[in-house]
Parts: sequence; C-alpha cells; structure tokens
Amino acid sequence: MTPVFKLHKIIKRYGQREVLHIDELTIPRQKICAILGPNGSGKTTLMRIMALLTRNDTGKVDVLGEDIHWGKEQLLKLRRQMTMVTQTSFMFEGSVYDNVAFGLKVRGKKQREIRPAVEKSLQLLGMSAFIAADARNLSGGERQKVAIARALAVEPRVLFLDEPTANIDPQSAVEIEHHVQFINRELGTTIILVTHNLFQARRLADEVFFMWDGKMVEQGSAKEIFEQPQDERTRSFLSGETVF
Amino acid sequence: MDIIIQGIKEGFLLVWSMDPKIIQITLVSLQVSLSALFIAACLGIPIGAALALKDMPGRRLFLNITYTFMGLPPVLAGLIVYLVLTTRGPLGQFQLLFTPAAMICAQILLAFPIICGLTARTVMAQRQEVYDTAVTLGASRRQAAWAIIRESRMGIIAALTTALGRLVAEVGAVMLVGGNIEGSTRVLTTSIVLETRMGEDSRAIGIGIILLVISFSIILIINLLEKRSFKNDTGIQVT
Ligand SMILES: Nc1ncnc2c1ncn2[C@@H]1O[C@H](COP(=O)(O)OP(=O)(O)OP(=O)(O)O)[C@@H](O)[C@H]1O
Ligand SMILES: [Mg+2]
Repeated sequence: MTPVFKLHKIIKRYGQREVLHIDELTIPRQKICAILGPNGSGKTTLMRIMALLTRNDTGKVDVLGEDIHWGKEQLLKLRRQMTMVTQTSFMFEGSVYDNVAFGLKVRGKKQREIRPAVEKSLQLLGMSAFIAADARNLSGGERQKVAIARALAVEPRVLFLDEPTANIDPQSAVEIEHHVQFINRELGTTIILVTHNLFQARRLADEVFFMWDGKMVEQGSAKEIFEQPQDERTRSFLSGETVF
Repeated sequence: MDIIIQGIKEGFLLVWSMDPKIIQITLVSLQVSLSALFIAACLGIPIGAALALKDMPGRRLFLNITYTFMGLPPVLAGLIVYLVLTTRGPLGQFQLLFTPAAMICAQILLAFPIICGLTARTVMAQRQEVYDTAVTLGASRRQAAWAIIRESRMGIIAALTTALGRLVAEVGAVMLVGGNIEGSTRVLTTSIVLETRMGEDSRAIGIGIILLVISFSIILIINLLEKRSFKNDTGIQVT
C-alpha cells in the first residue's frame, strides 16, 4: 500500500529561522501516528505542510500517492480527503449546526443528507443538545468537541488532531479517544495526532514520532519509543527531565 | 426663541398633512440615494473583498487612493460629474446634467470609496484561521473567500450604513449636478436650503424633521438586520 504521506528533504523557514528540517518521513496508511515533542519543535508546522495548508520552501511532498505541485484542482481534491482539528479551533459565526454542516455544504451535499450527518456527529461527541446554540458562546471544551464533530462529519480518509483533548475533561477525553480508535479501526481513517499527553499517545498510537527543534529525531512503534527510546532527548522528554 | 418653537410646530403640522410636494421630494431623495447606494455596493463590496484577499499588482496604491476618496467633499464629487456631463464634457451628448441620473452618478462617486474601502478593511481584519478552517473542511478557494466575507458581514453592513447616511445628508453634489429643479431633481437637503433662503423657516424645519426620521429609520433597519443575523451575540461586555 502506498503511504499516506511521503516527505523528502523538507525545509520550512520563517525569515532566517529554519523551523522544520525533515530528511525523510513516511506515514503509513490506516494507522494512528502520534507526533511528540516540546513546544515550538515544529509539530504544527509539519502537520500544516502535510495537510497542504503551508507550503514547504524546499523538498518534495507526496500525499496519497500524488506528487504535490500545488495546482488548484489537485489541492482541492486532496484537501477534501483530509481534515484537521486545530490547536485553537475557530468557530464560524452561526449555530453549532451551521458549523458542523460547513464541510458537507461545501461538498454540495443535499440538505436532507446534511441534517442526519450533523446530528450523528454531534451525538458521537455528546453535543446533541447544543445543535441550535450559538457556536461563539460555547465553553472551551464544548467548542473543541464541536470542532471534532465538524471534522468527523466529512468522513475524511486522513484526520489531523492537534492536541484534540487539551481542554477536555478526563471523562470526555476517554470517550473521544474511543471514537478516534473506532474510526481508525472501522473506517480505516489514518489519524495523525499531536499530543502532550504521553499516556494518551501510549494508549492510542501505533507509530510514534519524536521531534526536536524542527527535526525528526526518533520514530518507531509506540512500544519501542516508550520502552526503549534510543535518542537521549527522547529519553529525557519522556521521563520529564530536560537536557541542557 | 418663539420663532423656533413656532417653526417646529408648523413643521410637524406640515409632515402630518402629508403635503404632496413634500412627499414627492422625499421620494426623489430616497430614489436617488438608494439607487446610488445599490450600485456602489454592487461594485464596492466585491472589489473591496478582492483587494483584501488577492495579492494583485497596484493593490496598495488602489487601496490608498480609495481611503483618500472616502473623505471626498460632496461638492467636489459634484464638480467632477458636472465636468464630465456638461455639454462640452466627454459625455455631454447624453444630456444627463440636471437629471436624477446625474445625481445618482455623483452619489456613486461618494459612496463607492466608503463601501469599497471599509469592506477591504473589515475583510483584511479577519484572521488566517477563518481561511484555514474553511479549507481544511474542504472549501475551494472561492468557497473559503465567501466564508471570510460572511464573517465580515457586520463590518460590511456598517459600511453600507455609513455610506447611506452620507448620501441622504449631502447637499453639495446633488445641488451642483441636479440643479434643484422642482418636481424633478429637488431633494430634501436642497429644499431646506431653498426654503430657508425664501424665509419659509417652518417648511425648512418640517423637511428637516423628515430628513431626521429617514436617517433614524436607516439606523433602525440596520439594527434589526444585525439582530437577525446576530441573534445571540452579546458583544463585548465591559464590567
Ligand atoms: N507563521 C509563523 N511565522 C513565524 N514563525 C512561526 C510561524 N509559525 C510557526 N513559527 C515558529 O516555528 C516554530 C515551530 O512552531 P510550531 O507551531 O510548529 O510548534 P509546535 O511544535 O506545534 O509547538 P506547540 O507544542 O507549542 O504547539 C516555533 O518556534 C514558532 O515560533
Ligand atoms: Mg502546535
């Protein structure tokens, strides 16, 4: 099976600073991949490049077997197979329903297909009661849940989750983890998860990637990384120490 | 003081009596300003949004010119249109001078920069997140641009109100290119000038009251529109 993403010699700079420098990276299909690393290590930047939101300065990106040339049609076609729940989820003006329906509307779905899909997504996240609420008045955690429901409604092949449970209470977080596992197992959705919750990474991930200062310093199965980390930086990060 | 109170009383009576001449003048006023607003909005909103969202050559310059023209004195707008439409001017053969069409042209010139400039500003004030969220949910560029414009609608409505308020209230341009001809190009503001000059203070006050009521109604309608689209929006609460 062709991998979902293949990155080759990717560099991303902001001004003079090189914030991402990845030599080779392959993300396998239908797995849950966790990206770990300290603040500012380039996790979000990496995800944004894979999601085709940010352009890399040099290097080659393959998405779902296609070499990216940033043409309009190709971008739209590939972006419609992926979706992202961002670190700070933005809500469009309008109701929770409007927000969750957004992805279905832009795909030209009919009203009678949209309604049940929205209801189902909200129900999965336990947010049915909020369907008519103003999306801007939600609490942080509610907003995050709606953002996840909004992403699930479009049934993506690839789902990026940038700290999806950071604002979420433990009980709901466990439920969300179950849903993530469910859509991965039952629908074959590839999940790319950034999390600072090491227990969560351990519970969910098949593959773990560890980033440091824009570079991928270690990758392997969850068992390998958590039980026998090779890199000094990974080892100290996982044990909560710092290397300075 | 008595004169003023007397004037206000007679003014109200005049409004109450629904004087056909005054009704006709009011209708011309509304017709001219609303037509100008409509045309300026049809041009200004898309151009303003495009300026904000597309990086095209000459964009900064065009925006700066637009911002400058937001403060264009009405008389000057009138003068420009006058020069274009006068018999010896480039569009002289159409004989539009001293018709409502000429007034609409001059008012478009006043309203366009306001609508275009304020639309561009409010769209530019939207954050990258809006675009990113739309795109990650599968929106095409056009659909994402539309989502950004939708997020800006409060600001666009404000731009329209500002422009309409300015159009209904201005004298200079409509006087210059309309000529204040009774039954044809006379509007509320030019009538006030005329009636005052002829010593008809109470008529002037009456027309002034109508002008105020119209301005107030515009604000009211806008508020209702805003309430409809921002049902639960409480705004910023300062405590
Ligand atoms: N648009 C930008 N302009 C300039 N610098 C940026 C921009 N986006 C990110 N950076 C910088 O790039 C580096 C990597 O950022 P990134 O958001 O990828 O980190 P992260 O690993 O997601 O961190 P966190 O755990 O805090 O979310 C940071 O140092 C950040 O300051
Ligand atoms: Mg981040």
